[in-house]
Amino acid sequence: MATAALQTDHELMLAVRDGELAALGELFERHHGPLYGYLAKHTGDRLAAEDIVQTVFQRMLKYRHTYRDDGAFTAWMYHLARRCAADYFRKHHAAPVATDPTDLQAYADARPHAGDQAGASDDRAFLHSALNRLDRDDREILLLSRFQELSFAEIAGILECSVGAAKVRAHRALRELRDIYFQLQGEKLT
Amino acid sequence: MNCIQARDRFAELLDQRLDGPVSGEVRLHLAACPDCQRDFVSLRDTLAQLDALPAAKPGPRLRANFYAMLEDEQRSAAAPARASAPSRRHTPRWRWILSPLAACGLLALSFVAGQRSAPVATPVTVPVDAATQHELADLRKKVDSMGQLVGYSLLQRQPANERLKGILATQDLAAPGDRVLTQLISALALDPSTNVRLSALEALYPYADQEVVRAGVLASLTREQSPLVQVSMIDFLVAARDREAAPTLQQLVRADKVDRSVRDAAKRALVQL
Repeated sequence: MATAALQTDHELMLAVRDGELAALGELFERHHGPLYGYLAKHTGDRLAAEDIVQTVFQRMLKYRHTYRDDGAFTAWMYHLARRCAADYFRKHHAAPVATDPTDLQAYADARPHAGDQAGASDDRAFLHSALNRLDRDDREILLLSRFQELSFAEIAGILECSVGAAKVRAHRALRELRDIYFQLQGEKLT
Repeated sequence: MNCIQARDRFAELLDQRLDGPVSGEVRLHLAACPDCQRDFVSLRDTLAQLDALPAAKPGPRLRANFYAMLEDEQRSAAAPARASAPSRRHTPRWRWILSPLAACGLLALSFVAGQRSAPVATPVTVPVDAATQHELADLRKKVDSMGQLVGYSLLQRQPANERLKGILATQDLAAPGDRVLTQLISALALDPSTNVRLSALEALYPYADQEVVRAGVLASLTREQSPLVQVSMIDFLVAARDREAAPTLQQLVRADKVDRSVRDAAKRALVQL
C-alpha cells in the first residue's frame, strides 16, 4: 500500500467502493484523529466518540456503493458522522453532557507549572462547560468551522444549507458561546 | 457603517476572510466605537480560548477495533466469491446418489472390524490409601494444566482470524468456566497477534472482579512487548481498581527502556489507584 499515501481521499474511497476494502485503512489513518476530536467535543464523552468513529467507518463500508464519482469524501464522512452522532443523542435523551471531571483533571495534569497556569486551566474548564451548554446545532457548527479545517462551502454541504446561512449560524453560535463563557466566569468571581 | 453592520462582519474579520475594503470600514468603525470594541475583543478572546482547547486523542482500542472490523469485512467479502466458485462446476448426478451410500458402507465396515478386534474391557478395582489419592489428584491437576497449554499451543497453529473468532465466541457465554478464563488469559499472555491479545483483554473485562483474572493481566503486563497492549492492560487494572498492581506500575514508571506512552499511562494509573 505504498502508493496509497499518494492517492487523494476521493481516489481511495472510489477504490473501496470498487472492492479494494484495504484502502479504507489509509482513509482511517488520515481522518480518525480529527473525526474523533470533533465527536469527543461534540458528545462530551470520549468512549462514545470512539464508538461513533468506529460506526462511521463501518457505515462507509456498508454504504460504499452510494459514494458518488463526483463526491467529496470529507463532506460525506462528516455527513455519516452527523447521523451517527444523532443516533447517539437520541439514545442518550439528547441531554448535553456535563463536563467530565476526570477530563478537567487531565488538562490540569498536562501542565508543567500548575500554580502559574491555574487561571488558564480554569478558563479551559469554563469553555468546556460553555461548549457543553450550547445548543447541539450551535456546538456542531462551531466545531466544524474551528477544528476541522473545513471551508464554509464544505460546511454548508455537510449541513445542507446555503453558505450564507452557515456563516450566520457560526457567528450566532460564537456569540452564544461567548455569553455563556463570560457568564460562567462571572459566577466564579461572585 | 453603523454598529449593527459592523457587528455582522466581526466573525469574518476574526476569521480573516473579509475582503480588504470592507475590512478597512469595519476597523474604522471599531476605532471610533468603544461598545463595538468591547464586543469584538470578547469575541476574539472566546475564539482564542476555543482554538487553544487541546485536541482529544483516541485510545488504542479504536485502531484495534477498526482493523478487526476491516479484516472481518474483507473475509466476508471474499467468502461468497469462494463459495460460489465450486458451484459453477458441474457435478455428475450419480455422485449425489453413490457418495452417501459409500459413506454408510464404510461406517458399517469399520463397526464390524472394531467389534472383532477390540479386547473385552474388564473393570479393575485397586484399593488406594489417602496419600495415593492425594498424589493422583495432584497428577491429574498437572496433566490438566499441561493439556490446557498443549491445547492453547494447538490453537495457536490456527490462523489469527480463527483465534480471534474463538475469543469473540467466549463473549457470548453466559457463565464461562475457569477453563475459558484460563484460555483467555493464555491468549493474552502468549498469542503472537496484537489484535488477538487486545480482544482477549476486552473479553476479560466482565470478569475483572475475579482475582485470578486480575493476577493474569498483571503477570502478562510485564511480559508484554507492545505498548498498545500494555496501555490497554493498565487501563484494565485501573478499571478493576487493582491496588496490587501498584508496585508493577511503579517499576514501569521508573524503567527507561519502556515506551513513553506506557510510562505515562502507568503514572496516570498510580494517581487513579
